[in-house]
Amino acid sequence: MTLVIITSAWLSIRTRIGDLTLLARVGALSRTIISSLLFPLLLCSLLSTAQAADAPSVLRFGLASAPITLDPRYATDATSQRIDRLLYRRLVDFDATSRAVPSLAHWTALAPTHYRFVLGQHGRRFADNSWLTASDVKATYESVLNPVNASPHRGSLEMIRRIKVIDANTVDFYLDRPDPLFPAYLVIGILPAKAIAANRAFSDRPLGSGSFQLVSWPTQSKLVLQRRRDGQRFEFLYVSDATVRVLKLLRGEIDMLQNDLPKELVRYLSTREHVRLQRGVGSNFTYIGFNLRDTALSDVRVRQAIAYAINRPAIVKYVLGGETRLAGALLPPGHWAADAQLRGYAYDPQRARQLLRQAGYSQRRPLRLTYKTSSDPFRIRIATIIQQQLADVGIEVRLRSFDWATFYGDIKAGRFQLYSLSWVGIKSPDIFRYAFYSSSVPPKGANRGHYASAEADHLIDAAENSDDLTQRAALYRQLQVLLLKTVPYVPLWYEENFFACRSDVVGYRIAEDGNFDGLNTVRRVSDSSKRS
Amino acid sequence: MRVVMPIIILVIWLLMAVLGPWLPLHPEHIALEHILAGPSVHQWLGYDDLGRSICSRLVIGASTSFQVALWVVLVSASFGSFIGAISGFVGGIVDLVVVRIIDIFLAFPGILLAIALSGIMGPGIGNVVVALSIVGWVGYARLARAQVLSLKHREHVVAAVSLGTRPITIVWRHLLPLIAAPLIVEASFGIAGVVIAEASLSFLGLGVQPPAASWGNMIRDGARYMLVAPHLVLAPGLALMLVVLSVNLLGDRLRDRLDVRARLHD
Repeated sequence: MTLVIITSAWLSIRTRIGDLTLLARVGALSRTIISSLLFPLLLCSLLSTAQAADAPSVLRFGLASAPITLDPRYATDATSQRIDRLLYRRLVDFDATSRAVPSLAHWTALAPTHYRFVLGQHGRRFADNSWLTASDVKATYESVLNPVNASPHRGSLEMIRRIKVIDANTVDFYLDRPDPLFPAYLVIGILPAKAIAANRAFSDRPLGSGSFQLVSWPTQSKLVLQRRRDGQRFEFLYVSDATVRVLKLLRGEIDMLQNDLPKELVRYLSTREHVRLQRGVGSNFTYIGFNLRDTALSDVRVRQAIAYAINRPAIVKYVLGGETRLAGALLPPGHWAADAQLRGYAYDPQRARQLLRQAGYSQRRPLRLTYKTSSDPFRIRIATIIQQQLADVGIEVRLRSFDWATFYGDIKAGRFQLYSLSWVGIKSPDIFRYAFYSSSVPPKGANRGHYASAEADHLIDAAENSDDLTQRAALYRQLQVLLLKTVPYVPLWYEENFFACRSDVVGYRIAEDGNFDGLNTVRRVSDSSKRS
Repeated sequence: MRVVMPIIILVIWLLMAVLGPWLPLHPEHIALEHILAGPSVHQWLGYDDLGRSICSRLVIGASTSFQVALWVVLVSASFGSFIGAISGFVGGIVDLVVVRIIDIFLAFPGILLAIALSGIMGPGIGNVVVALSIVGWVGYARLARAQVLSLKHREHVVAAVSLGTRPITIVWRHLLPLIAAPLIVEASFGIAGVVIAEASLSFLGLGVQPPAASWGNMIRDGARYMLVAPHLVLAPGLALMLVVLSVNLLGDRLRDRLDVRARLHD
């Protein structure tokens, strides 16, 4: 039908051009030029209308922050890591209690320092159709371990002494020291050895064996992936402003979004037609960190006073979503090494004032602190509330907000008194060595507040050297109780997750750590099936 | 009516600005249970995203914008008029240099320069005044220079020159009184411009820093909740609009009054 109309329009244009005497005089040549220019144009418009009819099959996902690199060896920000999970497969994955489970490979510990991984049949075809083998595993991990490549993940894998390929499906890891948690560290997506050798720029030309493959990444704010199973296309659109993201969802410019909206906008979305909302508990741990080298904050009574002065239930009730849980420790309840009894400090301003008095502070000599946070409006909002709650017990807090790079740089360099941040996607308890061991100060680890406790060091060592998982879990629980008592962090909460989509999008499941794995199953139901 | 309404609004603005800091207001008091609550009998303008009273913040914001407007107009009008008058009177190489500098400043978009300056100097109310004054003096300088050029060949000026009076004294005693009227009109329009500029800088996060209130940062914070709580933006937005409109209307009237040529045509 369209073709007929366009053809007749084309004919009428031609006759009219023919009628113009001026053009007629210029001759046949110009007519050929015009027709050769016009015809492809018409064809293009015809093709694009054909494409437009298929366009709704693209699913658009609104992101609050753009991915930075699609190379899993270098990705450290949450968005990049979540998208890398779609593009690549890892040797191991995690179950609901954060225990390592086989993904690409299952493993056996042949000796405390010798692990054998056998690749299964599933998920081994790279996007370029080549087959993932043991030598790809070896090449990936050797490239991460090579100091020349300066991968930020190298630190957590340093205990690997040697990687040996046995056959195409089997690879052995030899360790420097025994570590029963070792398989849980092998979470880097496997890259093809050939492409690594050819120095392929994986950061913008990813090639993995994951369930998605890259179509194009034309601008920083638009990433197009294709689901390999059924060819479904996904566009990841970066929309920084929360209100704009909500409006785009309501107008159908994006089909779904996850997290990073103020509670009020989530409630607003829940009242809209054509939008469906899912909520779930989260496992990402938000905390306030202290600098323990600071004279005031080195006093444990001051840190406890701050913990008692923060009214977390009120903040959760009025500012954060309903599924947000109060945190008592870094590992969320449900983790195999977590202590589900820990709830953190109850709100007790009296106790806080008393502790401050004991530490030698009074109205005449008030405690003055600087609290750093990122420039994200939501973080500033929470920080402002905490500032007032601390003021109520007599602590004067100066708020300083910085753009993310400056803020994170300051935190890593130890230039802070108080700061707040979140740990995202923590699965393995080796985080305790990374964040609290006395020698893990940056750049070696993330003990940014210079927490040094012989008892904590001893518990971390003991837990890591124990072969029995139950005993290990018990030691980690002791450690978390100790950390709560000595407060290097004030544990705040695990923020809830939510997912909002157009009502014709079904099949998404929220993950506790906020990853995008639900995109493996999500699909659009067509209008006809909705009616039936 | 065209004069009364603007005067009433400006008097309210002035009262809010002068008395605001002395009133028992709690613009920074956070009440979580009131977050985004709409206008009610107790709180005419409702509460913001942290449960702070919008009414209190509006009053303190008025005081902020008034202070900035006052200082910027004072500094840039006196500095600009002085430079312009001297340059016009002295003439020669001094005038040439000053005119070139004025041209350079005029060629640069004013608000962009202010943004760049507050970006370099860092946020804060003092720096906003400095940034806007650096941008603002040019208009007064150009006006003062043009007026002085047209006046400096008058007899009383020539007489003063031949009596050996110092140039500064001539400018001060014999020229400034004559060029004051257009400068005052320019300053009255300048107030409106500065109020808007301060709000823009605060909106961009370069002006008054939270938790202190300014109309600009109230609008910025409120814009995030426009879908669910439009009163956060409406209150400071309307206040800003009314003040600027009133200042402009009054400035218009003032010009009609002070401009002799316009009156001659009547």
